[in-house]
Amino acid sequence: MLQVALAQVRQHARRFIAVGLAVMMAVGFLTATLMVNASTEASLGNSIGAGFRNADLVVTEGPEAPLDSPAVDAVKSTDGVGAVYAQEMGWIAFGTSTESGYGALQNTAPAGLDNLELLSGKLPGDGEVALDAGTAEKRGLAAGDTIELAPAGGLVAAEDLAAAGTGLTVSGIVKASKDPFMMGQPQFFTGGELVQHLAGEGGPQLRSIQLDLAAGGDATAVKSALAGALADAGFADATVNTAEEQTKAVVASFTGGTDQLTVVLLAFALVALLVSALVVANTFSVLIAQRTRELALLRCIGADRKQIRNSVLAEALLVGVGASIVGVLGAVGLMAGIVAVLQAQPDTEFAALAVPPVAVAVGLVVGILLTVLAALAPARAATRVAPLAALRPADEARAGNAKGKVRLAVGVALTVGGAVVLALGAVSANLLIALPGGMLSFIGLLLCATLFVPPLVTAVGALAKPAGVPGKLAAVNAVRNPGRTSATATALLIGVTLVAMMMTGAQTSRTAFDGQLGAEYPVDLSVGDLTLEGQPLDVSAAATAMNYDGIAAAGLITNGGHAEVHGARTGVYQLAPEQLDLLQDKTLVLDGNTVLMPQGSELKTLTVTGSKGSKELTVVEADSRTLPPLISSAVAAEIGVPKLPAAESEDYYTSLPQLWVSVDRDLDAWALLDLRSQLAAGLDVNEYQISGAAVERAAFNQVIDVLLLVVTGLLAVAVLIALVGVANTLSLSVLERTQESSLLRALGLTKSQLRGMLALEAVLIAGVAALIGAVLGAVYGWLGAQSALGAFAAVVPDVPWLQLLAVLAVAVVAGLLASVMPARRAARLSPVEGLATV
Amino acid sequence: MTTKTEQSLVGAAPGRAASAAATRGLNKIYGTGDTRVHALKNVDANFDAGKFTAIMGPSGSGKSTLMHCLAGLDTADSGNIWIGGTEITGLNDSQLTKLRRERVGFVFQAFNLVPTLTAEQNITLPISLANGTVDKEWFGYVTKTLGLTDRLAHRPHELSGGQQQRVAVARALLTRPDVVFGDEPTGNLDSKVGAEVLSLLRRSCQEMGQSIIMVTHDPVAASYADRVVLMNDGALVGELDRPDTDTILASLAKLGA
Repeated sequence: MLQVALAQVRQHARRFIAVGLAVMMAVGFLTATLMVNASTEASLGNSIGAGFRNADLVVTEGPEAPLDSPAVDAVKSTDGVGAVYAQEMGWIAFGTSTESGYGALQNTAPAGLDNLELLSGKLPGDGEVALDAGTAEKRGLAAGDTIELAPAGGLVAAEDLAAAGTGLTVSGIVKASKDPFMMGQPQFFTGGELVQHLAGEGGPQLRSIQLDLAAGGDATAVKSALAGALADAGFADATVNTAEEQTKAVVASFTGGTDQLTVVLLAFALVALLVSALVVANTFSVLIAQRTRELALLRCIGADRKQIRNSVLAEALLVGVGASIVGVLGAVGLMAGIVAVLQAQPDTEFAALAVPPVAVAVGLVVGILLTVLAALAPARAATRVAPLAALRPADEARAGNAKGKVRLAVGVALTVGGAVVLALGAVSANLLIALPGGMLSFIGLLLCATLFVPPLVTAVGALAKPAGVPGKLAAVNAVRNPGRTSATATALLIGVTLVAMMMTGAQTSRTAFDGQLGAEYPVDLSVGDLTLEGQPLDVSAAATAMNYDGIAAAGLITNGGHAEVHGARTGVYQLAPEQLDLLQDKTLVLDGNTVLMPQGSELKTLTVTGSKGSKELTVVEADSRTLPPLISSAVAAEIGVPKLPAAESEDYYTSLPQLWVSVDRDLDAWALLDLRSQLAAGLDVNEYQISGAAVERAAFNQVIDVLLLVVTGLLAVAVLIALVGVANTLSLSVLERTQESSLLRALGLTKSQLRGMLALEAVLIAGVAALIGAVLGAVYGWLGAQSALGAFAAVVPDVPWLQLLAVLAVAVVAGLLASVMPARRAARLSPVEGLATV
Repeated sequence: MTTKTEQSLVGAAPGRAASAAATRGLNKIYGTGDTRVHALKNVDANFDAGKFTAIMGPSGSGKSTLMHCLAGLDTADSGNIWIGGTEITGLNDSQLTKLRRERVGFVFQAFNLVPTLTAEQNITLPISLANGTVDKEWFGYVTKTLGLTDRLAHRPHELSGGQQQRVAVARALLTRPDVVFGDEPTGNLDSKVGAEVLSLLRRSCQEMGQSIIMVTHDPVAASYADRVVLMNDGALVGELDRPDTDTILASLAKLGA
């Protein structure tokens, strides 16, 4: 029976390509995911290990007793110890004649324990310093130049350093250390005791004691001798490791054992696996349906049910093994490619590829199991073929839909039950309730897909009627085998629903967050307090701000008086009528008798005092909690606008004008952050002085956009697999309908009509799947956002129509593409050939 | 040439060693109500071992149903069936499968061969399915007799219709079954190639002692048989010994076929 399976796979290899492709992609995804963690660790190991690559043993401190010079002495006096390097590091400020900055300073190791790679010049001696190539290039330094170093903490103005710092000669340029404690900042290396002097208060940090074994020394013996010596010196909790052990220990402390990224990626890999299992199951059922007569013949001449089942499973096993191997190889190739790219970048040249045997094994086992398990149901269907079927004329193969009743019942129950739980989670704004509810209802919907997919395809198919006979035939053919159509659509539905859910969820939470921000921050951007020069903002600031693209309006808000709010003297600001538009909340109004107060003021009235007098005003509360008390400029004029008090006055800081800015709504996150930088430079303030809803919104949108992009990319794998499934189902159906297609051709259907008919069929299935997915996803996305954010903000469904339309368009185009190959094959067949084939 | 009456068949002794296949009181009903068809009515039949028997009758006479029941492909509603002295009535699916594999051979009208396997693999398939070993000598003899020796590595689509049927005959003969069933084995062949296949079947009966039961509606094909059993309306209605085409045609005419 094995030979039957082998012959099947060999002879009909093309029919298995799609299954193989689906399994391959899912396995590749899974394996790559598992390799990410290992490769990250290997890269870290590379980076960390470089620090003590020449050491035999490394001593590190325990939590109780930090290492210091007695520990170094203890190490040095232990028998069997050769060269010793007490690795010290301090934070320093450095300056050239024009620039200054902060960096890390480390002492150099004695010969033999050396861990620097010299690029030019020589290693630093006493009073000399070497620096990394990146810093040298950036600061225009070369061997022979002089730089000033000083303890970090003081001011780093270049002229201060010149006066207070220690002038050192640059002896050489070295390759940047990959030690994660040093990376990403200017690195300096000096010989001798200089680190001690420059490290500032508390001295340098003694990071480790690295040592060589004396000639003939035995690592194990020296290790225990060192432990003893250190314990005697009061460092009982210090650790003595070989360089390799030390690398592992540090890597473990960095990665913390578990890897969140891997867990998240695995969830997406799971979706891809699920979809590919559906594609495999569907393909095998189609293949079985097409081979009914052959299977019946085998049964006639003595194959028992077990042999039939095993034959189908053997085919699945063969395909599974092949596809899994290719998938794993593909994943390794992909990761190797990424690592190679990273290695070419100076900042990440320590990147390393790790292919853990577990990742390979899991990839292979999961891929093979998935294929075989997915083929179980079709294999069982194969055993139900009656031997007599071989003797009947070659009627159309039909997939049995009888067993579906239980499935439908379970599906409907899950859908309803899950929906109730989901609704409950949404109403109570509890994601932990909503999540399982959503998952259950989705599984339920998938189970009873046969209930709604074929009728919808038929309904949408009515639109194809104007296309004449090919259109009508396409609509009928698309639901000819409802089970098959549903299964094909379901695979696509999963991916599309998840993508649409993410899009709607993102959009809805964005809107909710916007509303929340409107309440939290009164204006888009507010610029506060003093300039870098210590001057208050003045009217020219508003004019300056208006010079920048993307600024819709700007206004300087000035002091209009003071008031006692719950015992605290508070500045009250005046707002000119045209400045009211700067507020986020457009419903707020100010008249001659009101004062706008932040939310939660708990006041009915407030008496505001100006330079000429006071007025009791009715309090109107805004939604914002950070709004300063506001009065209209008319009221301010009535009670007398106070002059800006002197800097020494206690009213000074509560009277400083603020610049309020509203920005163009369509500004994206990047543009807004850019604008903020420009504005800060133009107004001569620090960037952090510019705050407001727009900045928060931009930062939030940026996070959401990146997340959405990543998630959509990851889900795209599942969608791609499902599209392979659509192409596959169509091409198998075409194969099945060879005679029929030929008959239509003989009766006068043109080649292009035949191709159009098949394209329509594919578009119908893919389009309806995408449509259902988009609708479901929109609902899930809204309910998900409501569950997650409902407790903090008012969530109103906001459907990203354009994005969802784009998803639909992609599905339709992909359906068209999926029909190209099968349609071409069908059209190539001449009417006579097709009719002759039995 | 003699024409026996239906009564003489009743005396046949089922289960006898010299019987290749036999039935007693076989009834088969399809459908219910208006669509109810009594396909077999109390059929008692005996097919001698080592003989080539043809079952003839008009369409709907029940000849195919009788063969399906005899071969264990279909189950009867009542009555007993024996293959080579073993009663097969009431056997379960796996026992029937084993029976088909070891004691019965088939040659169908069309679609006899697994398209993905070579001729040789197709011939040895029943033995492979039973995990048995092929009797090389017998395989050589059968394939040589059927003129397939240089066609063994070919796949079905590379063979002519006659060659495909010869491969099917070889497969049926290879297990030395109690009986080979043919279901219109020459229905898809032209008369010359059909004659060739029928001669082969006859030779295998005469030279190898193979029992053969063939369903056909073609009087020419039936004339190759040792004996023709006539059926009409679900019942056996007569039989012809050593018939020729004319006598068969005459008998069929009497049935109103």
